[in-house]
Amino acid sequence: MDADGNFDVLVLGTGLTESITAAALSKAGFKVVHLDVNPYYGADEASLTLDELARWADSRAHPDPADPNPSPYLLSQRETFKAIHRSLVIPEHARHYSVSLSPSLLTSVGPLITSLVSSGVSRYGGYRLLERVGIYDREVGIRSVPASKEDIFKSQEMTLLEKRRLMRFFMFASSDFEGVKELEGHEETGFVEYLQSVFSLRAQVSDAIAYALAFCSTAAEPTLPVLQRLRRYLRSSGRYGASPFLVGHYGGSGEIAQGFCRVSAVNGGVYILDRPIQSITPPHTQPIASSPVSEKSLPGTAPISESKYTIMLKDVPEPLTADIIISSPSQLPPGLRDAAHLVSSTNDSPGESFARCIAILDRPIPFPPPPATPDVSSSGDPAKPEGSSDRAASEGEEAAKPVDTAVLVFPPSSLDGGSSTAAVHAFITGQGTMSAPQGKYILYLSIAFSNSEKSPESQLKPYLDAILSLISSSDDGASTAEALFKVFYIQHPHQTPTLATTGAEAATALLIPSVSTALTETADASSVAAEAVFFKAVEILKAKHPEAWSPRDSETKSGSGGDVFEEIAFFPPTEFDDAEDAGEEW
Amino acid sequence: MADAASGSAADKSVQVKLVLLGEAAVGKSSVVLRFVSNEFQANKEPTIGAAFLTQKCRLEDRVLRYEIWDTAGQERFHSLAPMYYRNAQAAVVVYDVTKATSLEKAKTWVKELQRQANPNIVIALAGNKVDLVQPSPAAGSSASESEDEADDATATPGEAPAEASDAENLRQVPREEAQAYAEEAGLLFFETSAKTGEGVVEVFTEIAKKIPLEHILASSRGAAGRPGAAGRSASQDVSLDENQSKGKDACNC
Repeated sequence: MDADGNFDVLVLGTGLTESITAAALSKAGFKVVHLDVNPYYGADEASLTLDELARWADSRAHPDPADPNPSPYLLSQRETFKAIHRSLVIPEHARHYSVSLSPSLLTSVGPLITSLVSSGVSRYGGYRLLERVGIYDREVGIRSVPASKEDIFKSQEMTLLEKRRLMRFFMFASSDFEGVKELEGHEETGFVEYLQSVFSLRAQVSDAIAYALAFCSTAAEPTLPVLQRLRRYLRSSGRYGASPFLVGHYGGSGEIAQGFCRVSAVNGGVYILDRPIQSITPPHTQPIASSPVSEKSLPGTAPISESKYTIMLKDVPEPLTADIIISSPSQLPPGLRDAAHLVSSTNDSPGESFARCIAILDRPIPFPPPPATPDVSSSGDPAKPEGSSDRAASEGEEAAKPVDTAVLVFPPSSLDGGSSTAAVHAFITGQGTMSAPQGKYILYLSIAFSNSEKSPESQLKPYLDAILSLISSSDDGASTAEALFKVFYIQHPHQTPTLATTGAEAATALLIPSVSTALTETADASSVAAEAVFFKAVEILKAKHPEAWSPRDSETKSGSGGDVFEEIAFFPPTEFDDAEDAGEEW
Repeated sequence: MADAASGSAADKSVQVKLVLLGEAAVGKSSVVLRFVSNEFQANKEPTIGAAFLTQKCRLEDRVLRYEIWDTAGQERFHSLAPMYYRNAQAAVVVYDVTKATSLEKAKTWVKELQRQANPNIVIALAGNKVDLVQPSPAAGSSASESEDEADDATATPGEAPAEASDAENLRQVPREEAQAYAEEAGLLFFETSAKTGEGVVEVFTEIAKKIPLEHILASSRGAAGRPGAAGRSASQDVSLDENQSKGKDACNC
């Protein structure tokens, strides 16, 4: 940090979107200071240990008599996370868990993976292929969902005619279907009905497609957006293995956010956690005579302070100054509410509310062995990556091995006492993703939340019980399975304040849009939002200092010497690799 | 050991993630710079620039490839991410022999590592800037260069200047005290000078001797070479940087 605490951008919140934005801005040469009011990285997408999760739940669950004046941040958190209820006893080895506040599956081809790879963050962490997707069936327990076209061919459960219909659907769903006749007039039709009427798929197959491949939360989701989503998943399949999805180690999103923050720090970003903001003085409101005016940073930089925000933090004596402020919805200081400009991105979604449950299990969910493999790939294929040939070779043995990372889908009406309209997605991660100690598993349940009269516990407990009874019945003679710890809550989309749409051109405070928190969508949506915020920020900084920024870093990168902003890209290919391997002896 | 077996092991360079920890301005980056490129920069800027440096270290019949992670300044406001030291097989916790509080900070890092990091992690404690407390023949000139090593804005004013005559007085952490702590906590212990190079290479070679290489080698197999993949089955792990050109139907022909 400069001795004078002089920055281009102040970013508030270390959630995934903010962290990607901060990393991109730092890499583009801007000076970033990045704050979080929490003592941990990741904000609403954090990976927490079990004791941190308990504290997280308690501080949001009830008004604390010891804290009669909760911070605006805590108040906004209590609007977002509601009806929280947790087990009192925290299991042992609490610190060996990484529980995600934003459980997510990463599509193997998509905006987030692109950002991970191009920023270099991918090499900081580990990723695991989603091993299995199953559908709950009250008669057989868990039915495997075909992970690939090969699996469909191998399936014993479908007739040849069905397989042909299914393949026809997959051909269609992978294609550029916009405007073709199979879709015409059906864009708004409920997806399950569409599959049954247009592709003549029977209920069991259409349920599998809608809930286990396209991750619909209800049968009524309109066909066009679901098809577009499914196409992205289908096109992700095969990049790293059969499954389109990856699971990040240590709780995923929270760890990935930390990686982006590190990239920002490596490029000069300054990180300050756990220090509440004491005051923010917007530009022009008062001359700040006491602040030292520094001209040392760049030739042509405007004198600081009068045109900048000045921020005082608790326990940090030096003021920070910044041209613009970028904030997550939950950490936006109340004083900026009227001035902030909500950045819109292409994936703007109103955002759904979910009832959620996080439970710790001490036994794996008994998935059936994968569809029989009549010796197709065991011969080994040199083109295949090591991981996937290992997988093929050990598939037989894996049948006996507990499934570590999987999704179990409960379609609507699949469970007595469960929802008749909404699907429940159960996502499980174990030691293989470094998120739980050996032999322990984290189970995340979520259901689209509609009925505000029902508590999240009463909505989700039947599903948890069904899973526990699957586990109990698979374990001959063993004791009844129980959850070691559970927390139930409702997550609403962030309340974005009503913002003035006028004066957007002059805005210097940007509000990050709230993104979907759905299992398969949230990670990519964060990356898309970050890109939109990044370009908006660059545009404002350019307008603010047309002269100051053009010399920076541009002499060597471009011969033109012209306006560097035309060239600023979101994680451009850089000399990152050279810098990293500077000490390499090859 | 059978020749054939050791021969094949020698071909493998074992990747080891090593993290640096310690208070700001104790010379973490300078120690690494000395190790990696045998250089020293007075007036070094606070750490900016590289995600990690790599350096091979030959040890008897094996080659270690250190992946050395610097804090990138994130320790300054106590904001170092847990991701930083997760999966590290080794850590060098640095303090400044002329600053007693830096040893206290080092102890909190050791505690954090022992609580949170890989249980097999090898930790070395390094008391840096030992050149400042050694009366040297060319004391006058060398000490006056060293004072510039207090390398960033957070350095305590007035702490660095070293007159040759009171070099011994600058020492605030007695060697015996730090060594006793290191023994008690099960750490390797060194006093180092990034400026002169004293003790620096030893830190890394002694760590290399103590690291359970067989364990790492066995567990990183199939984990796309990730250094962090210790101690578990990794057959489902993927490396995002690979397979980028792989078509979606790269099938079995």
